[in-house]
Amino acid sequence: MSDAPPSPTHESGGEQSPRGSSSGAREQDRYLPIANISRIMKKALPPNGKIAKDAKDTMQECVSEFISFITSEASEKCQKEKRKTINGDDLLWAMATLGFEDYIEPLKVYLARYREAEGDTKGSARSGDGSATPDQVGLAGQNSQLVHQGSLNYIGLQVQPQHLVMPSMQSHE
Amino acid sequence: MDQNQHDRLAQEAQYQSNPMMAPTILPTQTYGHSLSSSYPRLHPYDPQAMYQLRQEPLQQQLTNFWAKKRQEIEETTSFKTHSLPLARIKKIMKGEEGVRMVSAEASVVFAKACEMFMMELTIRASGSAEENQRKIIKKCDVASAISRTDVFDFLVDIVSGHNKIMEQQGFVGIPRIGTALTPTENVPYYQMPPHQSLVPGPPYGSSGMVVGMPVHYQNHPGLQTPTMGPTPNPQNSSRDSDS
Repeated sequence: MSDAPPSPTHESGGEQSPRGSSSGAREQDRYLPIANISRIMKKALPPNGKIAKDAKDTMQECVSEFISFITSEASEKCQKEKRKTINGDDLLWAMATLGFEDYIEPLKVYLARYREAEGDTKGSARSGDGSATPDQVGLAGQNSQLVHQGSLNYIGLQVQPQHLVMPSMQSHE
Repeated sequence: MDQNQHDRLAQEAQYQSNPMMAPTILPTQTYGHSLSSSYPRLHPYDPQAMYQLRQEPLQQQLTNFWAKKRQEIEETTSFKTHSLPLARIKKIMKGEEGVRMVSAEASVVFAKACEMFMMELTIRASGSAEENQRKIIKKCDVASAISRTDVFDFLVDIVSGHNKIMEQQGFVGIPRIGTALTPTENVPYYQMPPHQSLVPGPPYGSSGMVVGMPVHYQNHPGLQTPTMGPTPNPQNSSRDSDS
């Protein structure tokens, strides 16, 4: 195996006690909805497959840990490269580094198709950004990501009011 | 229940014995044959037949899963509908220290990646449920799948809560979380002959392999979900070949 082994102690402060919180508000922030998780798990099983509630709860914790684990690795890479925004390629790199090679090929296809779709709706050359090197992505990425941030504000406006601050912060840079 | 526990222990022992097939101290024969010659039959089932029977469907399921995933992605026509809420994913990402800004495409990529992660883990957990002749996947099946797959080592702390609950009920007598987290303890494990029935010393006491054998003889009901170190096993064969 050529890749570095994943570190079990990779948890950061934010996720030290994922199960310690039982309040509804924090639970909502920390985990993905159990209904979505249940639906996805069932897709992996035959029609007559059944899943106990404790298995769904465990999966809920595991997938949040997965997100934090990959994000932490990608974030370190961005900091080393003096970039502020985590993008799709950073996540793919982090997954490959942490042993999830099987995921890379399907996700590369998915990301490329997503960028094509975004390009159509935005009228910009997104495919060009995708092929640029990380250094070159820096400036161009900022502009395209600003658009994306604005786009995301419409969707998540109610749950993430702090996004209103993001565009102005970015415009100052 | 006792019958299921015995089956599980036998199967766990088989998984744990895999790395010892590679060393030269074992005859270079088929896995099945080595297994039958290495372990006495502790229950009515033939370990060799059960082992092979269970491995092939799981590997086939995973192969089908990845092929299906690839096809599904090729056929994606809309990126506005996702199986998971992007805002929630982004919130979890931003919970990590040092994370400042997250692009929209990152959340989209994670939505698909998490779907793959959950489906792969569910398929592996269903293999564990089948080994115990159950049709309902339980938490211990997820824990078992995690302990058997190297790439899921980072989840050991998540499922150790399960072991703690079991321990409080008097099921687990020896903590084995350290085994999964301490690579050095796994090194002598590889060199241990399969017929070794004595406990060589304190460091080996935490090895799942050593603990597994006495349990068979002593009929200890507690070791339902022994944790394994990052030892290779057939389920990872395709992954190993990729890297």
